[in-house]
Order: sequence, then structure tokens, then C-alpha cells
Amino acid sequence: MTRPSPFSVRGRRALMVMRDEREIAIMRRQLNRLGMTISEHDPAEVPPPDEAVDVIVMDADAIPIKSDLATAWKATAPIIALIGTETPSRLKWLLDLQPASFLIKPLRSAGLYTALVVAFDSAQRRIDEAAYIERLEDRIRSRRVVFAAVLQVMRGHGLSEADAFTLIRQTAMRHRTTIEQLSAEIIAVGGMPNRTTRTA
Amino acid sequence: MRKSALMAVDEVNQSDEFDFAFAPHLRDPGGVVAAYHTACADLIREEHVDHIVGCYTSASRKQVIPIVERTERLLWHPARYEGFESSDNVIYVGAAPNQHVVPLVRHMLDHISDEVFCIGSNYVWTWETNRVIREIVTSAGGRILAERLLELGETAVDHIVKEIIDRKPPVVFNTLVGESSYAFMRTLHAAATRAGLTIPMLSCSLCEPELKLIGSAASVGCITSSAYFESIEGPENRAFVARWKARHGADSNLSVDGQSTYVCVMLLARAIRRAASADVGAVRRAAANHRYDSPQGPVWVDPDNNHCFLTPRLARSVPGCQFKIFWEADAPERPDPYLSNLDPMAIGTGAEKSNDAMTKRSNHLRVVK
Repeated sequence: MTRPSPFSVRGRRALMVMRDEREIAIMRRQLNRLGMTISEHDPAEVPPPDEAVDVIVMDADAIPIKSDLATAWKATAPIIALIGTETPSRLKWLLDLQPASFLIKPLRSAGLYTALVVAFDSAQRRIDEAAYIERLEDRIRSRRVVFAAVLQVMRGHGLSEADAFTLIRQTAMRHRTTIEQLSAEIIAVGGMPNRTTRTA
Repeated sequence: MRKSALMAVDEVNQSDEFDFAFAPHLRDPGGVVAAYHTACADLIREEHVDHIVGCYTSASRKQVIPIVERTERLLWHPARYEGFESSDNVIYVGAAPNQHVVPLVRHMLDHISDEVFCIGSNYVWTWETNRVIREIVTSAGGRILAERLLELGETAVDHIVKEIIDRKPPVVFNTLVGESSYAFMRTLHAAATRAGLTIPMLSCSLCEPELKLIGSAASVGCITSSAYFESIEGPENRAFVARWKARHGADSNLSVDGQSTYVCVMLLARAIRRAASADVGAVRRAAANHRYDSPQGPVWVDPDNNHCFLTPRLARSVPGCQFKIFWEADAPERPDPYLSNLDPMAIGTGAEKSNDAMTKRSNHLRVVK
């Protein structure tokens, strides 16, 4: 699968959650220059459910900290925070939203492209990392199975733990399967599956 | 650039077409990056200028932008640059990357080779130009044979010339600037001649006065991309060149940057006339889409990004320190400073090339045993 380059922003969809007309005008002009499509949402209203957007540009000052709406914005789309107030109370609220990048107000024409690239890149990294963690968790879950298979091979072939594991690993490689998958087979058939005639 | 700006100022002041006169205030930061901020602040605070024409390097422009944005002035920037900028307080009159880098890379892929040796000066212009080249070339299934960088001003080029002679790349893409480029072109020409080799060279920045500095033999044959060459046919340019030579001598040559500075002043004068005011906001609005038949052909400001519609051209340097134009776009091309309309896959991938690309790309697959 080819993933979109974070540098190509054309055609991506931005949701502006902003209040100040002047800043909305600057943001809209820059997003247009970059060839992005734009939608808007009133910061005073309830966040839209699962809006199909690629990035949310949010004026952090426009949403009251002590409100139910605050963390409801925690979405799947990366958030670019526009920051005016740098008080710790505001920044703490912001950290809970896990912004992918930020811009300091007042807005200028420069800076948005960087914020977008960083946001798209970190969003992609988050997806990659989540997938990686899921794979690791799968492997942790199957550790019990692998351990049981190692014991089985140790008994069946009279091998040390290290040698039994090496045998399972090499067999898995030869059969082009994972150690976890082979271990499950070993337990199912009660020993090394006889797959010498099979070429993967 | 200063000479062309003053020539344009004199022409505006002497012309009946304009019912106002420019009072030029000159500052010369002399290429010292930090001095641009001071010079510009001084022009605004002491001389109360509304419009500033100048800056060649991106580093100097980045010094000036915060001041013109804060004080709501306009900078008229003549030089082509690497893009990825769009300030409301700058009118970008030089070429955007889609107007000079992209046509040259396309020509290289279509007519020379998809394997290229890149050499350039170690700064932002080369870095970004090389990135664009790499993206387009690899998308077309080609490859970058090498990417060599020299510090600005460095003239010790022998090791790179030796590498090029040894490896005989089908084409060299040169983004060196100033003395480094002249030294490189002379040394490579001498070495290639000795070795009996002809290695095509590409440049997006070479101009007529530089051909003279390099010397007639070594400067010939470089394929160059630019919006302006002195040899452009057309009455506006012939008259412009004649006025230039009358003013500065028959031996004096124009450059793309000189011509572009002239265009800056003329675009400004025409926008002031149209707006009937020198006010920055009014001038910016008046400049938008206001076509000017300049020496380089029709030019107008795209209000979407404050860059200019320009006509890309490709030329080959010939004896006599001139360029012979062999291609130009059918019409002025819309500026695309963020290259957001660039589709690298659409360049240099003809039917036979896409097959090529498939086979070449499969090299990246590794067999796992």
C-alpha cells in the first residue's frame, strides 16, 4: 500500500473550527492556495460526529476549558491547534486533545504548510505505531502457546529449551509461517507437524 | 539588478504615460544577510518608502518579510526561488519552481536520460531543487546517480570532476551558484575534452553575464531553464535590449534577474497608475491580473498567491555568450509555489517508459529465502 506523502496536501479536507473572522480569512486563503477543500464548524456547537476530514484546524482559545465540549473534539483526524493564550491551564486542556501540531496567533501566511505536513506525518506515525503495538500485543498473547510448543518439542525430541526454540524458529522460516502459527500447529498435532513434503 | 531598476525608474519618470514620478532610495546590504533587516527597516522608518524592490537570495528575503508584514509594505522580489512561500506582502516576480525546475526535469526525462548526476551549492536552493528532481525522476523509474554538494564559494572542484569523468553519467544537473559554478564548468569542460567525452549539463540559473565570466569555450552547450533570455524575439525585448545597450554599452549583457527587476518596477508603476494611489492595499489589488507586455512576454500577478504568470523557456548556451531558445511554453504558466499541482507520476512516463518503470522498480523487491 502506498501511503500519501505528508508533503502533498492538495485535495485533502480541512475542517476549520475558528471564531475570529480575520483569522478565518487568512486560513481560508492559505488552504485554498494549497489546493485543500474546506469546511467550517462553529466552535460553540457540539462537535460533528465522525466528520470525514483529514485535518482539523482548531482555535484553542475559542472553546471554554470547563465545558463538556472540551475533550469531545478528541477525534481520529489530526488537530492543528491555533494558540493565543499560553497559560498552563489552557495548554493542559490542549495536551488532552493530543494536537498533531500547532500555530501561534496572530496567523501569518507562513507556517501553515509546516503545520499541515507535521500533522499529516504525525497522524501517519500514530497509525503505524498503533498497528505495530497491536502486532506486539498479539505476540504477547501467543507467548503461552509458543511456550507450550517449546515444552512439547523439548520432551518429544529430547532437546534443550534453546535448541527446541531454534528448531521451531527454523521450521517456521522454512514453512514461511510465523513462530506463533507453527506453535499452534505443534500443540494441535501433539508434535512437530510433518510438512517436509510441502513446499511453501 | 540595481542598473535595471534605475533604468525602469528613469523610464517611468520620463514617460507621459505615468502622471507621477518615482523617488528611488538605494541601500546596498552587499549580500550580508543580517544587513537586509537593518537596511529595510531604515528604508521604511527613515525614508518612509511603501514599496521595496530587491533581495536576491531567499535568506535575505526571509530577513525582510517580517518587517514588510509588520509595517504593511510591499516587497517586489525579482529572483526565481525554490517556492514554498506566499506572503501577502511580497509580489514574487521571479519564477516559481513549476516554471523553471519542472520544465527542465521534464525535458531531461523526455530527451536525455532518467539517470542524473546532481551537483550543487550546499544551501536551500539546491536542497529543494534536488528534492523535486529526485521525486520526479524516481517516479518516472529513473535514478539519481549521485548528489554532490559544495559549500557556497568553494572552487576546489577537481575531486567531483574526476568522479564525473570516471563514472560518465548521461547528464549532469548543476545547481551550483557563482564562482563554484564557473570553476566547475571550466574544469569539467577541460577534463571532458581531454577524455573525449560529451556530458550534457543542465542549469536553472545560468545567465548571459555568467557565460562571459565562465569563458566562451566552457560555457557553451549548457541547457538552461529560465523565463528570460536576452535572445527572446519580439518587439518589446528587442527594444528593451537596445535601450539597455544604449545606456550601459554594447558589451553589456542582460540577465534574467536584471530583466525581472525591471519588470518589478514596471508592474509597480502600472499598478500605482491603475489604483491612482501608492497605498499598499490598493496597489496589491490593482496589480492582480493586470497584464503587462514585458520584455519576457506577458506577465501578470496571480492574486491567489502573489506570484506571477510567466512563460517558461529552455535554451542552449551558444558561442558569443548567448542562449539559443529551443522550447517555450504555449502560454504564460500559472505559478504553483507549493507545487501542489505537480503530479510526478505524470511526467516522463510515456507508454514505453512506464514499462521501464515497472521493471526498474521491481529491483527494489528483495527475495526472502
